[in-house]
Amino acid sequence: MIRKTGYLGLGVVLGAAAAATAPQALLFVSPSAYAAAADTYRQLNLFGDVFDKIRNDYVEKPDESKLIEAAINGMLTSLDPHSSYMDSKAFRDMQVQTKGEFGGLGIEVTQEDGLVKVVTPIDDTPAAKAGVMSGDIITAIDDQPTQGLTLDQAVDKMRGSINSPVKLKILRGAKKEVKDFTIVRDLIHVQSVRSHVEDGDIGYIRITQFTEQTEDGLKAAMDKLHSEIPADKFKGYILDLRNNPGGLLDQSIDVVNSFVDRGEIVSTRGRTPDETQRFDAKPGGDLSGGKPLVVLINGGSASASEIVSGALQDHKRATLIGTRSFGKGSVQTIMPLGQDGALRLTTARYYTPSGRSIQAKGIEPDIKVLENVPDDLKGKDDMKGEASLKGHLANGDEDTSASQAYVPPDEKDDNQLVAAVDLLHGVKHPEPAVKADAAPAKTDPPAAATAAPAAPSDPGQAGAAKPN
Amino acid sequence: MRKGLSYLAYGAAAGVLLVGASHDALRAAASAGNEKLAVFSEVFNKVRDSYVEKPDDEKLIKSAIDGMLTSLDPHSNYFDPKALQDFQSSMKGEEFGGLGLEVMMEGGLVKVVSPIDDTPAARAGMMSGDLVTRIDDTAVQGLTLKEAVDKMRGPAKSPVKLTVERGSKGDVKEFTIVREIIHVQSVRAHLEGGDIGYIRITQFNQEAYDGVRKAFDHFRTDPGSSSLKGYILDLRNNPGGLLNQAVEITNAFVDSGDIVSTRGRTPDQGQRYSARPGVNLAQDKPLVVLINGGSASASEIVSGALQDLKRATLIGTRSFGKGSVQTILPLGENGALKLTTARYYTPSGRSIQAKGIDPDIRVLENIPDDLKGKVSSMGEASLAGHLKNGDEEEKGSDAYVPPDRDKDTQLEAAVELLHGARAETLRSPDPPAAVTSQ
Repeated sequence: MIRKTGYLGLGVVLGAAAAATAPQALLFVSPSAYAAAADTYRQLNLFGDVFDKIRNDYVEKPDESKLIEAAINGMLTSLDPHSSYMDSKAFRDMQVQTKGEFGGLGIEVTQEDGLVKVVTPIDDTPAAKAGVMSGDIITAIDDQPTQGLTLDQAVDKMRGSINSPVKLKILRGAKKEVKDFTIVRDLIHVQSVRSHVEDGDIGYIRITQFTEQTEDGLKAAMDKLHSEIPADKFKGYILDLRNNPGGLLDQSIDVVNSFVDRGEIVSTRGRTPDETQRFDAKPGGDLSGGKPLVVLINGGSASASEIVSGALQDHKRATLIGTRSFGKGSVQTIMPLGQDGALRLTTARYYTPSGRSIQAKGIEPDIKVLENVPDDLKGKDDMKGEASLKGHLANGDEDTSASQAYVPPDEKDDNQLVAAVDLLHGVKHPEPAVKADAAPAKTDPPAAATAAPAAPSDPGQAGAAKPN
Repeated sequence: MRKGLSYLAYGAAAGVLLVGASHDALRAAASAGNEKLAVFSEVFNKVRDSYVEKPDDEKLIKSAIDGMLTSLDPHSNYFDPKALQDFQSSMKGEEFGGLGLEVMMEGGLVKVVSPIDDTPAARAGMMSGDLVTRIDDTAVQGLTLKEAVDKMRGPAKSPVKLTVERGSKGDVKEFTIVREIIHVQSVRAHLEGGDIGYIRITQFNQEAYDGVRKAFDHFRTDPGSSSLKGYILDLRNNPGGLLNQAVEITNAFVDSGDIVSTRGRTPDQGQRYSARPGVNLAQDKPLVVLINGGSASASEIVSGALQDLKRATLIGTRSFGKGSVQTILPLGENGALKLTTARYYTPSGRSIQAKGIDPDIRVLENIPDDLKGKVSSMGEASLAGHLKNGDEEEKGSDAYVPPDRDKDTQLEAAVELLHGARAETLRSPDPPAAVTSQ
């Protein structure tokens, strides 16, 4: 199976990946294609004309590279919120980051209405320790306003050498409380997988983002959990994808494959044959021993996280608990431009095994469980989601409402986690936290992925081993 | 004196137009530029071939051009053919269906520079400094200024709904305003207190100088005007307009001396504009010029020249600080470019870019409590990407003019000064020897 490296990040977090550029030769040109080509030529000419006028007449000698970068960025950002231009530095940064370390604060950010918004602070980083929270709006970095900066520019300002301080001005919540933080940069390890034994008999695995390290990290985590929990006591897994903004497509496929042995995982469709592919589970990839699985999602679970949870839901392999996911159903390809940085271009939409696109809709959990948001954070932690991003790809009936994206710092306050543990323990939950329609862990047999278009293999095995 | 048609305004409402030379010779020598263009073409082709949906070529190129121009400074932008037409009509003072707002872009939102007198927007209570966040429930964020202006314009008698944030607290207000034919009348005049000729210029469009000339005709025929004590030229909240109009209007108050000079990168853009003798309409009567934080560009050329020539006493608050000149460069059937091509300098050689002009007598208006902090202009120095001008840039100045004449402290100060009822001395109309940069 050919796997193409696609990037599926919500923020700027991460994503490595080289990618093929599309074939551009036009061999046979029809008369109408000539007309189209003439128009295209006219458009390019117009651009060249403007560029020349600026070079010749602008009040100061312009920096031509900057002009072209601004033009490319203007063009890409007109497409959708996930297409952008990375200059050579940003591209380098992205590659460095993929390796798993850089000097920074440890926050994942996105841009909303021209402002820099914290998607989530990364565990155990200076930002998390300082108390930066999901939903915080960063209005100034080292006293410079973020308004007017591109997301890349803002991220650049936050990154820097280890041990150097950076000052953030933050607006929090509906009341726009102003907070100042001075945070010392540290080496940020992009540790993508963490795990521990929950309650003595459950393997808890949290994936913070899908990097090149994820597949290996997940295998190591599962090995460790198997060595710590005797097989006869092992009640199941909790896969925590809350506030995971996404990352690499191939990594999300591997993660799904670690829980299912066959069937389609995801398919992508673009305008070129290159971009239209189906990814199936490789037999023998399932490391879970058929133990029950609960996946936690929330409004900050995007992209690669939605591929994983969508596939596991369609396969009836997992019960999803939490709140509706972000709704980013597109794939970006990184296209290097020689010495001139790279493009991040939306090249495809993806579809879950049942053929649905979650673009601008998100994935509904099987059991909706809300966290108790502290009074002072109420309304401040919600993610508005893809459907609220300006210029997002349209997808029929969209869901523009916000979805909760708060995870309590203290595990014992974490309703969603508690619900997952109780479900795996078979505890009926009388508390309102779990809705009345709460289903027990899924027991359906393999009929799962039936709606998958052209799914060749019997998807059945996927859910086979589930206990009650 | 050679005159180019240049445009100087910081808002979008006004407009005018004009023309620039092209430089084919330079173009030939542009191989480095061609490499950069090749990078752009490569990206354009990648987007056309690989984007998830078939993109619209025209929109891609327009976005690229917009991206490139807005990276330069806040005053350079692209007019598609329709935008160019609107701009030209507005500079000609032609009529359009609209609200009567002069607006600019700030932080991705549309900011009201000032409501135009006697228009639906002014009557509805829109104010300088208001931030328009939604137009007919469409978010303004993400729109270009042109797109926002287009949404506000429309047939007369049709309603439009504006959602506005006012002041530092961002109080949200909604206005439903019915459009009217807005005639951009750029000059109004009347006798103030029976013996002062008051002239207000709202913008420097192609009719501005004619308007000023008519105002003087009016004063001359008015029975009470033989004993005129002087003139008040009110340039408050005037966002600018055409350079040649600013020069002509300055010339209506002086007989000789430099008025303004411009300097760009090309010889074309370096010019000096001097007063012609024999067209001074005001003769030697004293003159007070009113300015505030909303007085920009062409307004600053006029007030800067009259101050440097010691011809007028400036009263009010520091002006906006837009010291650059834009030229309209036509692009054939594809509209035109409004490009910053020069800086300008007052007769004494100073650039007011990002600094503004300080009045000779600073007089503040009494701002009603509910408007405090909401009616000041942030000025050029606060605009992202503005042209730099040394270290001593100045930000923020009041831009409030009371709707009620009786509460207009600045106007009252001007009248008192002309009547000799203030401690300060009225600047006498010195002969041209005062000009320093001959």
